[in-house]
Amino acid sequence: MATGSAFDEAPVVTDQAAIDESHWVERAKQADTAAFEKLYRRHVDKVYGLCLRMTGNAAEAEDCAQEAFIQAWTKLGKFRGDSSFATWIHRVAVNSVLGRMRKSRREQDRIRAVNEIAPARESIGDSGNLQDMEIAINELPSGARHVFVLHAVYGYSHDETGNMLGIAVGTSKAQLHRAKRLLSQQLKVANGEI
Amino acid sequence: MSDNERNEFDDEIMQAAGKLATAVAPARDLWPGIEAAITAPARPQRSVWNSVWAQAAAVLLLVGGSSGLTYLAMGGATSTLPPQSAGTGPQLVFEPVSGSFGSQYNLGSEFQVAHNELDAKLAEQLRQLPPETRSDVQKNVNTIREAIREINIALAAEPDNVLLQELLLSTYREEMDLMIKVDGLASEVMRRNDI
Repeated sequence: MATGSAFDEAPVVTDQAAIDESHWVERAKQADTAAFEKLYRRHVDKVYGLCLRMTGNAAEAEDCAQEAFIQAWTKLGKFRGDSSFATWIHRVAVNSVLGRMRKSRREQDRIRAVNEIAPARESIGDSGNLQDMEIAINELPSGARHVFVLHAVYGYSHDETGNMLGIAVGTSKAQLHRAKRLLSQQLKVANGEI
Repeated sequence: MSDNERNEFDDEIMQAAGKLATAVAPARDLWPGIEAAITAPARPQRSVWNSVWAQAAAVLLLVGGSSGLTYLAMGGATSTLPPQSAGTGPQLVFEPVSGSFGSQYNLGSEFQVAHNELDAKLAEQLRQLPPETRSDVQKNVNTIREAIREINIALAAEPDNVLLQELLLSTYREEMDLMIKVDGLASEVMRRNDI
């Protein structure tokens, strides 16, 4: 499936935009907060989106995204430009999510809350209604969910996914397989096939 | 379900996942919080070694002060000045003082020994002061030691609170300064009596 990150392949970053971004990064490294704000404005939606899909909780995702940018500011000196800034800030965001989840016991509460508030499902069918998929992803166990989100939704390779999550490539593949099995079951239930 | 059907369904899942939005705008602007965090003045990093050196300095001060007081009291005018009667003023009662500096630091037994020695010397010297002066000094000493006791209680709850550790150290210094002043007062009394 995915061989590179969604950001590296994303066509939204034009040459001029990349030059601007590189300039902002250099200025931000010199403690220019205005330049860092520009980086924030450009990337916040994708960083927040990743945090939201990994945590499944809007408030938690806001905290994670905020923490990711604060961490990025403090670690910016270590950013050498080997990857794009987008990929780098994604790694920081994933670390932020994992760090918070390790500390927090709210994960269990989150799963319960999702089960309690999940609306009656509609069939995905061919209409492209992705609501079931969203809900089904949210209900995945965290290990399978993280791999699925990074690999299937955000397009990172298994190498990159394993690297970001601190797991072996084989584990990443196994978790993806598990995620697909679980999603398959849930979506069949949603479609009334079971 | 056959393998083919399963693979087809897997493909559908992956295709559907690929259609999910990757960019989601947060409900509120996160920048103000980020800006506040990154522009806040950095807290000075408190080095463990600074604390260790501070402790060492405190111990040296106390041991040195104790030796100095011992020298002044014992080697000075002890033979020329009869100590005042213990019955001329209120009995001095000092609360024991702990030498704890949080979970990672402890002033240790040397500090306690030096402190006890100074404490004994202070009581002895106070007896040589006029009752009014002695009363004032006693109040000051008790105030400082009460502060030390309360800071130690707070430190027990928050052993790694740097502010409390610094407060405790500075209060010990105040106690030390007071002891030295008492020594000065006692010496002054001795000199006047000598005349």
